[in-house]
Amino acid sequence: MNQKPGVCTFCGTGCGHFIGTENNRITRVYPSQNHPVSKGRLCVRGWNIHELLDTPERIKKPLVRADGGFKESSYDDAVARLVDALKKYPPESIGFLASPRSSNEEQYLLMKLARAAFKTNNISLDSDSGHRASLNVLHAGTGMAGMLGSIEEIRKAEFILVAGIDITRQNPIIGSEIHMARRAGAMVVTLDSRRTQIAKLSKKFLQVKPGANRLAVLALAKTIYDENLSDAAFLSAHTEGFEKFRHAFGLLPDNEVSDRTGIPAEEIKAVARDLAKAKSAMVFFSSGISGLDEDTIGFIYNLFLMAGKVGKEGCGVNPVAGLNNLQGGYDMGIAPDLLTGFQALEDTAVAKKFSAEWKADVPAATGAPIYTLLSDPSSKLKALVVVDHDEGIVRYADAIKKLDFVAYIGAFKNPFAEYAHVVLPIATYVQEDATFTNTERRIQYSMKKIEPEEGLLPGWKLYAMIAGKAGLSWKYAKVSDVMDEIARLTPTYAGVSHAKLSAGFGMQWPVDEKNPQGTRRFDIAQAGRKLSFYKVSDVFEVPAAKEQFPFLLMVGKAQHFWHQNNLMKKTHIPMREYNATLMDYPEGYVEICPRSAKEIGVRDRWPVRVVSPHGEMRVDVKVSEDVKPNTAYAPYFVQEMISRFLLGHTEVLRQGEDATIPVRIEKV
Amino acid sequence: MTMFLIKKADVGKIAQELGREYQVYGPMIEKGSGQTFFDRAEDVAEINLSAPIPSNPPKSVVFPQMERILSYEYDRTKNTVKMEPDYEVTPKALVGLRPCDLAGMLCLDRFFMGQEFVDEVYLNHRKKMFIVTNTCVTPFKQCFCVCTDSGPAAGEGYDLNLTDLGKEYLVEVGSEKGAALAAKLSLAPANDSHLALKKEKVDQSIAMFEDIAVDSKAWVSRVMNRVTTGFVKDDVWEYIGDQCFECGACTFVCPSCSCFNIADVNNTDCAGCADRLRTWDSCSYEGYSRMAGGHNPRKPVEDRRNKRFFCKLSYSQMKKYLRPGCVGCGRCAWVCPGDIGLPNVVTYVRREITG
Repeated sequence: MNQKPGVCTFCGTGCGHFIGTENNRITRVYPSQNHPVSKGRLCVRGWNIHELLDTPERIKKPLVRADGGFKESSYDDAVARLVDALKKYPPESIGFLASPRSSNEEQYLLMKLARAAFKTNNISLDSDSGHRASLNVLHAGTGMAGMLGSIEEIRKAEFILVAGIDITRQNPIIGSEIHMARRAGAMVVTLDSRRTQIAKLSKKFLQVKPGANRLAVLALAKTIYDENLSDAAFLSAHTEGFEKFRHAFGLLPDNEVSDRTGIPAEEIKAVARDLAKAKSAMVFFSSGISGLDEDTIGFIYNLFLMAGKVGKEGCGVNPVAGLNNLQGGYDMGIAPDLLTGFQALEDTAVAKKFSAEWKADVPAATGAPIYTLLSDPSSKLKALVVVDHDEGIVRYADAIKKLDFVAYIGAFKNPFAEYAHVVLPIATYVQEDATFTNTERRIQYSMKKIEPEEGLLPGWKLYAMIAGKAGLSWKYAKVSDVMDEIARLTPTYAGVSHAKLSAGFGMQWPVDEKNPQGTRRFDIAQAGRKLSFYKVSDVFEVPAAKEQFPFLLMVGKAQHFWHQNNLMKKTHIPMREYNATLMDYPEGYVEICPRSAKEIGVRDRWPVRVVSPHGEMRVDVKVSEDVKPNTAYAPYFVQEMISRFLLGHTEVLRQGEDATIPVRIEKV
Repeated sequence: MTMFLIKKADVGKIAQELGREYQVYGPMIEKGSGQTFFDRAEDVAEINLSAPIPSNPPKSVVFPQMERILSYEYDRTKNTVKMEPDYEVTPKALVGLRPCDLAGMLCLDRFFMGQEFVDEVYLNHRKKMFIVTNTCVTPFKQCFCVCTDSGPAAGEGYDLNLTDLGKEYLVEVGSEKGAALAAKLSLAPANDSHLALKKEKVDQSIAMFEDIAVDSKAWVSRVMNRVTTGFVKDDVWEYIGDQCFECGACTFVCPSCSCFNIADVNNTDCAGCADRLRTWDSCSYEGYSRMAGGHNPRKPVEDRRNKRFFCKLSYSQMKKYLRPGCVGCGRCAWVCPGDIGLPNVVTYVRREITG
């Protein structure tokens, strides 16, 4: 038999699959029936992953910049150039942009490399780093910096709120579990500005005005409070800080809710009652550009806490990671202020523990996320190391061009490599044993399926080689040694080893002495602390359309051109689907409803100009019933849209949910 | 009909003997996960005739998920092209094929080889093939072959057919090749009493569907009528379409789905070289039915779903397959994220009639 078990490396769901190989090439994929998360299902991406893994669009030789182009080189030479270049600069001028696709072992070693070898804390995750907002809320509230619930328990939830996430597109198999729960009788409610597929499949759909999610959540909380539906015993026994949150209710006049959210007040009240009445309840959302901001997530967490729906079976406040090892990236300390397992860098005892294990000091100086540095014209960043850039689009290209030195490390060809002075190839996900941590904290082992091409190093060996050239001596005989080191330094991963993971379907952290088999969900009985309400704002302004800018534009993702498609572009079938959309809408599209289209005087696929106070773009119109009048939706997948228009709105976009841009749409 | 008996302990000899001449495929249980695969046996002893129905149909043996069918080299200076078809020609033996999967293979045969154009790539996989089927003496949870005329026992298309009679297997010969193999193994002859015992086993199996095959209470024949005549209302298709995740799984796991895509991929090892790949395709994808110029006769997802069930359940498709396109294996229900496997679709269409 030629079926090797592994984990799908597209999104954060972490579905199980089997990969078939022939002559050291990947030829097929099949779903894993008994996998606890995916239970025999895969989505369009997962079903075509073998096409990606067999792509010739790989980087196979080290390259160094010469005479305006690239020349093939050796690892020895290219790594020496990288180390020499970085050694020229002080730590504050060096940055590391890590990939949310790299394995835990690779993430960890890159983090160690940045800190132990190059003494910088300028390290952050590329793309979708909005997940941090969710982790901040949950960590502050409960101590667990990850999904509180579990995908396996979705079918045990009586009430499920899907808030602002197109989940059947972004993480389809989680969407499927919610759909199955709905079919078994769960009350599924979708809160979104667009009528997504899950909205159509839900029992109730609250189509909220763009940018008013937070207000809608507050209105839900207020109803629970006003009607005395909260779990008083739970509140007093297990929580603290409710009084401060309660203060927000007084700021919300009842008569304004409906107007500002676009949802009839009675509908909100009915949903609040459903939530309070249910024995178990879960909420799914994502953070970042097409998800929610930290403050809104704080409101959601507070709502579920006051309803007593945290820490019990079938309950969970569940942020959804769009990328396969985004959660693992944070777990591995890929952030300026974090070490592994969400341990604070500024905690001296923690830093001391790392320094002792590493036999090198953990730098104390404050670092910054790479995109913050790139967007800041006064930043001192001069040299940047980028790993497996995920997007087909390079943001801040102008700033990157101005850097003195850029190194690109990756398995697949990517436009980011064009900006590099040194390019270092590494093996793909299936050419080395690795672990990945999915969105429900499940650490999964993926065994090596094929050998890397001759001479090609897996990431962990390359990082050890770089460390060696930089004067450190890392002695890992095998990749599992790296996980052993992670386990020694990380309380939540304390009981993890490759040997333990290779039997079964992974373990959910914390894996420690108390929970040797892992922890399915956050458990109130084991919390050992009171849960705190998150400190939220009391400003409830919603973006308002104005006379000159009557549309509220939302930005987001779409199925096949998910993440601007760097990986999808290396497949055949998903690539065709992407091309079909591009052929229909070559300049990207903005989705508006038939009534708006009629008012503007355009039809499907006609070009329009979208004008905001900060810029404009030309795109085609997609006419759809899924948006309401005077709202518009633009999936970000075309270079022009991103670079010419959206980046002009950086400040707006950084705020996450309130990435709602008032625009005017004109016929051209 | 010629019939023989083979002791249970000896049944492995069939695969062993076939292994001398053929690449042998059969059902095997993956140890780590307990999942059954119908896959190539590195060692014929891996083949497990009592394994549950394989999670994958044997389709990939004759129609792989991704297959290089041609390589070519284009010389720009001379303006010449060198093309070489790349066919897999090793003879293959399928041991322990379930009757539904054989029915699926017969559908594929009629699609790839039974029309004006004979697909040579498929033919090369299929010719010289040796097929040993295995009667399902108990059904599985998701089975409904009794509704699609494809089980629990195979009727045609095998070289040898095995039926577990308890202590021994009845071996029915379906071809000269099969007879030759039986002769080589010097099997003991069977008589009519064994055949009667087989019939009893098959009847028992059918009787067990009520209690075991609980996932599926389809009423396929009634729905075939509705689907063929176009009587199914739009809102039923919309209800089904709304639940479709457009993943393609139902088509990939279907023993009779035959749609494919062709892609030319540059071979980076040599300038001007490319491989032509054939990959599985799915009618659930929007780009699948999109035509040059942008017109898409099946743009809405419900129209694409409607197409699939038309393929599986309409009489006009039967003219092509000489049987229903659906073989009742139930795999689409296993893998569907939207819970619209064929049995559920049949239920929704039937509801229109029965309320």
